[in-house]
Amino acid sequence: MSESILTVRDLQKKFGEFEAVKKISFSVNKGEIFGLLGPNGAGKTTAISMLTGVLEPTSGTAEIGGFDLRKQLDQVKKVNGLVPQDLALYPTLSARANLEFFGRIYGLRGKDLKTRVEDVLRIVSLTDRADDPVGKYSGGMKRRVNIAAGLVHHPQLLFLDEPTVGVDPQSRNHIFDSVRRLNRERGMTIIYTSHYMEEVELLCSRVAIVDQGEIIALDTIPNLIAMLGGGVIQVGLQQVNEDLLTQLRGIKGVKQASLSQSPIAPPPADGEAKDVSPNVPTYPVVKVETLNSQEALVNIIHFFNERDIQIASLKILEPNLENVFLHLTGKKLRE
Amino acid sequence: MKMLSIAYKDILIILRDRGTLLQIFVLPFVFILVFSGMGSMGEDEQEALPLTVVNLDQGSEAAAFIEGINTAGGVNCEIMDQSAADAQLEAGDIQRLMVIPSSFSADLNANKQVALRIITHPDADDNITETIRLIVDGAAQDMALETQIVASLTFMGEMQAAMPADQQPFTTERVLQQAESQFAISHERPLITVEQLQPGELDKIEEFQPVTGTQVAVPSFTVLFVFLSAGVTALSIYNEKKVGSFRRLMAAPMSKASLLLGKMLPQMVITISQVIVIFGIGMFLMPLIGLDGLVLGDHPLLVILIVLVMALCASGMGVLIAAVARTENQIGGMSAVVLWVMGALGGAFFPIYLLEGFLGQVGKAVPHYWASKAFYGVLVRGQDISGISTDLLVLAGFGLLFWIVGVWRFEFDR
Repeated sequence: MSESILTVRDLQKKFGEFEAVKKISFSVNKGEIFGLLGPNGAGKTTAISMLTGVLEPTSGTAEIGGFDLRKQLDQVKKVNGLVPQDLALYPTLSARANLEFFGRIYGLRGKDLKTRVEDVLRIVSLTDRADDPVGKYSGGMKRRVNIAAGLVHHPQLLFLDEPTVGVDPQSRNHIFDSVRRLNRERGMTIIYTSHYMEEVELLCSRVAIVDQGEIIALDTIPNLIAMLGGGVIQVGLQQVNEDLLTQLRGIKGVKQASLSQSPIAPPPADGEAKDVSPNVPTYPVVKVETLNSQEALVNIIHFFNERDIQIASLKILEPNLENVFLHLTGKKLRE
Repeated sequence: MKMLSIAYKDILIILRDRGTLLQIFVLPFVFILVFSGMGSMGEDEQEALPLTVVNLDQGSEAAAFIEGINTAGGVNCEIMDQSAADAQLEAGDIQRLMVIPSSFSADLNANKQVALRIITHPDADDNITETIRLIVDGAAQDMALETQIVASLTFMGEMQAAMPADQQPFTTERVLQQAESQFAISHERPLITVEQLQPGELDKIEEFQPVTGTQVAVPSFTVLFVFLSAGVTALSIYNEKKVGSFRRLMAAPMSKASLLLGKMLPQMVITISQVIVIFGIGMFLMPLIGLDGLVLGDHPLLVILIVLVMALCASGMGVLIAAVARTENQIGGMSAVVLWVMGALGGAFFPIYLLEGFLGQVGKAVPHYWASKAFYGVLVRGQDISGISTDLLVLAGFGLLFWIVGVWRFEFDR
């Protein structure tokens, strides 16, 4: 069994009456790239802020690198590295000066500091521009320095909070390469938060899907996608009753049929169905989980034609994390 | 050490910020230059203050001197005999008493230094005493200068008259040089000095230095701009939070106290650098451009002490502003209040001895006032530590208050 570097137990954060993180529990293994996937405002950054000592938890705790978050915060902070979502750098200072400063904050001095700064500059491929003021860098380069600043003290556990926001595809690929190399070559454990499903799918071995302060699913990516079976078909109808759902469950290729929690507004004449607005009349949607979406689709259409039931909308959700999230929450990741 | 790393980083950032450097070092120089050249400010508009005078001299110089004070405006001399004046001062019916010694005219005519005494009641308002003393001092300087120049020129005239017509020793240029020389001497070694004491303190005479525009403007604007740098600290903390680096620092293994102390240390360095530059300008540059130079007086170490206490107070104010302000505009607004309103109340634009009545009382509610008063005590009145200890304690108290409220209200996770 893999050794855990992070074990979170009932971690909660309340701001007044608002509960931003709702007693979450999970663990991360040493050497793992673990994803926290969820839309903006889901509570990912708040959770990371607590685990890195920036915010004090309202209740619950975590054990990080063998140290208790509540009782041994200083030791926890030495284990952790944080790459915040913001470009937390000093634009008038050079990349080297920024990195040296953050190194000193972690107690590095002299030759050791110089060596580590050179090392992380190499990791993010910025040795040539190291003495230029960060303010003159492109967005992607700034992101790379931002990552380097979180690495300079060689943390065991690196928190990367939305590290690719606002960067060009080339820099994004560079960041992905850096993350993989850090994990592969240095055995660094990485917690990667994003609302980009593709990034999490590409990098992470396990993913916790977060929504409204809760972890609504946690597993390996194949297991999460398997939740959708062969795919999900959403069928909009004028009327739905339990008898209809029972009949649908009997169709060949269908695993489950249920009424979606989120009704959909009627599609406009020239486009796709839109999401719900409080003042727009809606119609019910049946969510059909299939064993094979193509086979099930043919049978479902045949089923409704035979009974002369009009289909208001039809949507096939391919098996991926984006649709797992849609399946679990009824909304898109980037809403 | 981590605290020092933060401070070093902030100083590097400030050194790369031309706007801040301009505000810290150039702006004070411009203000001092303008206000030093303005000389006395608004004295004519002051209501005449009563000054009881005991004239023990029967000569004409004393009468001319009293006339000179009345003509200067702002002070109205009331002649009284010694016993009546002493009784009234003791009873508190009068607040100040100036004694002109019996040898006043004779000493003056003999070109000997003569001392005037202003005896104050213990309850006398210091600010009013300062105003009266300044006017008396001005009249004394005018009269001494006039006496010295007249004496000198008379002597030269007598020598000239005694020589044969073809051997006249003094040319027009030589006479002018002599006049200029007397003018300089009158500044360096005033013929009439003013001493202040309270009844029963004849052994504790406090002698005033001649007051120049520079002597008032340099410390006043030093105080003003040192407190303005509180805004620099507040803005630095705000920017750190805005870009997210504050969050990164919070995630590092260092205490919140180290973090805040690291943010305030640069202000200490700025303040000390500011004072060195401003005082250096006052002492060395001002004389080069024809203005009076700043004189540190007998207690230069006290100047350092005042600067340190003031720097602590200003840094506390910086933390307080950072704790209270939510936006960059709010920091700008609060910095403006610190600069203009508190500066004016604290005596930056008008010397504190001119702030009377309500304004004078309100001024005591701002730290600028106490810093200015301490500077004024050392640089103008030549006071020692006992004379400014109250000012320093109040200033330190303000600093402590700012710190406590600032740290209490500071939201590290906002």
